[in-house]
Amino acid sequence: MSTQTREKLNQRLLINKIFYKLIEFLSFSLLIPLGLILFYIIKNGIAYLNLDFFLNMPAPVGETGGGAFNAIIGSFMIVGLAGLIAIPLGILIGIFLGEFKDHKMNNLTRIAIETLQGIPSIIYGIVAYVWFVLPFGNFSAFSASFALALMMLPMVAKATEETIVMIPYTLKEASYALGANYYTTIIKVILPSCMKGISSGVLIGISRILGETAPLLFTAFGNAFLNFNMGKPMNALPLLIYNYASSPYQEWQQIAWAASLFLIIIVLGLSIIAKNVIK
Amino acid sequence: MTEKEIILSVESLSISVKKHKIIKNLSISFYKNKVTAIMGPSGCGKTTLIRSLNRMHDLDKSFRVKGSILFEDQNLMKIDPILVRQQIGMVFQRPNPFPTMSIYDNVLAGYILNGIKLTTDEKDEIVHSCLKKVGLYSEVEDNIHRKGSHLSGGQQQRLCIARALAMNPHVLLLDEPTSALDPKATTRIEDLINELKHEVSIIMVTHNIEQASRVSDYTAFLYLGDLVEYDTTETIFTVPKDKRTEEYLSRKYG
Repeated sequence: MSTQTREKLNQRLLINKIFYKLIEFLSFSLLIPLGLILFYIIKNGIAYLNLDFFLNMPAPVGETGGGAFNAIIGSFMIVGLAGLIAIPLGILIGIFLGEFKDHKMNNLTRIAIETLQGIPSIIYGIVAYVWFVLPFGNFSAFSASFALALMMLPMVAKATEETIVMIPYTLKEASYALGANYYTTIIKVILPSCMKGISSGVLIGISRILGETAPLLFTAFGNAFLNFNMGKPMNALPLLIYNYASSPYQEWQQIAWAASLFLIIIVLGLSIIAKNVIK
Repeated sequence: MTEKEIILSVESLSISVKKHKIIKNLSISFYKNKVTAIMGPSGCGKTTLIRSLNRMHDLDKSFRVKGSILFEDQNLMKIDPILVRQQIGMVFQRPNPFPTMSIYDNVLAGYILNGIKLTTDEKDEIVHSCLKKVGLYSEVEDNIHRKGSHLSGGQQQRLCIARALAMNPHVLLLDEPTSALDPKATTRIEDLINELKHEVSIIMVTHNIEQASRVSDYTAFLYLGDLVEYDTTETIFTVPKDKRTEEYLSRKYG
């Protein structure tokens, strides 16, 4: 090898090394903001994330020992109903997208789903407000569920479609060859094989809508009391954080930190489960 | 041969895909409790022919099938494909047990998918007898309620045969059942085919000339969508009448 080619080779190897290190550095630097957020929330919230937080109702200004019981119940009820709407609907749309590729509505449905995915969350809130809050004359938990269901729908539909197209055709043939019809083939053969992909989509969808605040502002509105009536205003964790964090009272701000920590733990937990479910 | 009784008879069958003719006006009769091998070079329409017998082409709208298939006084082309497939079982090239079902449920899949209710005793009886028929029972006895995905390819294929047999089909279609298996597993399946012909008529597609000569009673030789020759396997392999059959058997083309 001549000196010239060796020099050139060394130069290329050096650039390669720099490139590699740069990618590595930039990727790891992403951990810094996440680490800081987690650190800050844990530091401020951990002391107040106690039994009182889970079991007590919000305390009036000036009193200590208040909790977020009504917001926790509210969040689970609102997100629960949203899931009940979005999961079956999303799975059906996903089946349609994955199975009926030649159908003339397929492309339109796909565009609709992808557009829904890109709409800012506050728009969902306004839509639910116009469709449900105005006609019924009051804020309600179910209007919030509707807004959140619309947000979750594309995630479930996409996850279903992406999994269903991965299922080998031979499996379907095996089912048909035994005399099964389309309906039972989907319900008993295809969907069970898609369970992992769909449940991971569902978990990611739930963790996404659990922290949404904007759609709730126009719909669930918030409630200082415990309420199980879906037709009435209801408190939820993001609303509680929004209201308490911007309040001037220290006790309320502490509850907001604890609620943030609680939300982050659930969301992180759900995404970790969703990742492992795939394997 | 006096004991030959026709179970399935294909009359002037034509199959085309998007104007491309795959099977051209073909007529053939299959005999009861015999193994019939369908042989021929790639692209001759073997698989297309066998898949028409249980109406699998109904799944793909680009297929056009004309002609009639007579089975026990009924024209299979005229009745619901679901009824056809419950009487005519099929096993595919690649083993395809249902990955979400246990071995036990895989054998019963035909009943489960058709919504036929069985008592626990009936289920046990079907599962045990079918697994015994395919020689899988002793191998999977302890894991019968576990998923079938840990089984070897040969075992999975035998499970698929058990699954088809569980429906008590009159005819069993095998589409190159050993092409994805190793030689040992292949021998196993071939022995099994020999045992099974006493209770079910078998029609199999094979790429493998030796396999056809080993297991079949009758052999049909297809070439470019035409039935060139159809006779007892012995005749086809010893005194083929057509030059194309002879050349194929001496591996001039494949």
